[in-house]
Amino acid sequence: MAIPRGKPRLTLVPSAGPAEPQGRAGQRREWSGLMARAQDGDRDAYRALLEDIAPYLRALAARCFREPSDIEDAVQDILLTVHAVRHAYDPARPFGPWLVAIANRRIIDRLRRQMRARSREIELTAAHETFSADPANLRETDEKVLHRAIDQLPPDQGQAIRLLKLREMSLKEAALASGRSVVALKVATHRAIRSLRKMLRGETP
Amino acid sequence: VTTTPDVIDALVERATPVRRLRPPLLRAGLWLGFAAIVVALLAVGHGLRTDLALRLREPGFALAIAAALATGILAAVAAFALSLPDRSRWLALLPAPALAVWLATVGYGCLTDWVAVGPDGMHPGETLRCFATLVLTSAPLAVALAVMLRYAALLRPGAVAMTGGLAIGAVTSAALSLLHDLDATAMILVWNLGTAALIAALASLFGGNLFAWFEARLRPAREAPRP
Repeated sequence: MAIPRGKPRLTLVPSAGPAEPQGRAGQRREWSGLMARAQDGDRDAYRALLEDIAPYLRALAARCFREPSDIEDAVQDILLTVHAVRHAYDPARPFGPWLVAIANRRIIDRLRRQMRARSREIELTAAHETFSADPANLRETDEKVLHRAIDQLPPDQGQAIRLLKLREMSLKEAALASGRSVVALKVATHRAIRSLRKMLRGETP
Repeated sequence: VTTTPDVIDALVERATPVRRLRPPLLRAGLWLGFAAIVVALLAVGHGLRTDLALRLREPGFALAIAAALATGILAAVAAFALSLPDRSRWLALLPAPALAVWLATVGYGCLTDWVAVGPDGMHPGETLRCFATLVLTSAPLAVALAVMLRYAALLRPGAVAMTGGLAIGAVTSAALSLLHDLDATAMILVWNLGTAALIAALASLFGGNLFAWFEARLRPAREAPRP
């Protein structure tokens, strides 16, 4: 999970202007015109507008999120919102503030959701991999039973466990080796450990 | 994973022409007109309170009704303006002055003639009818406002629900004062403030849920399964 370090800060005007292109006022007037045509159903104008604002939104989102996947999700969220409320835009008013207000709303929502998730999700540590049932921690049961149980897991979970736990790769190495994302590996590991716990409890009562 | 260009493609695909919203002032006016019709219909059905002409000559009573109506109007304007993303959030304070006057008149009346709560101040049947008026006024107004402001679900649900609730509460309370002769001032206080507070509280409580429902409906299919 992406954890933005430091306090997330939302500003209306970019301080270091990473994405703000030259001639902002002119560009925004153009955005306003494009949006007006999009409201009338002009798809080319709409595509031009969305492709034009996406990098700008990415720069806005990049100030609050670290993981590229989070930034892209935020950008897509904002684009979807713009689409849903595009009838609420008044072409007589500037487009920039309208867009930034929507973007801030979506970014704040996403930050809040992350905070909530972080307050109830805990990263896996060694303690979570210890089975609470005694027999599972005995030397004799270890190898054979565990390997048999792992073989019974769905292939993706089995692979995650083998790479991360048996071969003790880091998440990044495992992601490289398997071609899957870090998040997917974490999820698969978590599920695998849960099913293993169930299986081992069932087998050695 | 859905990439951003994919999303843009999908959105362009769905870019049907839309009808622009009318200016917020006009939309607030439309809603207030609807409110006036609802109250007028109720007045026809139920009849105005018997001593209305007499009471309207009392400055306190007239001021209280005027302040309630002003609160309703300003809160409706604020709700419609706040529902647009680029309007200042300070607009939420627009109904504050009228609200202050309204609270002051109600509170002042309570201080001066609360002793007027007499044996014939009210009877239980009236309370029930009062409640019926309350529901009959506020329910259609709330539905109309929610439908008119549904897109605000994606933008500023909290502030819009609050100001919208205040607008409904104030209009309902003015209607109650016009239709029912609750002379016990303590009762008026409870009804006036109680109604407004109750409706505003309901709006904040369920406004969120309602808006979440609208949000789920408004937002195009999203949340592609993560890898």
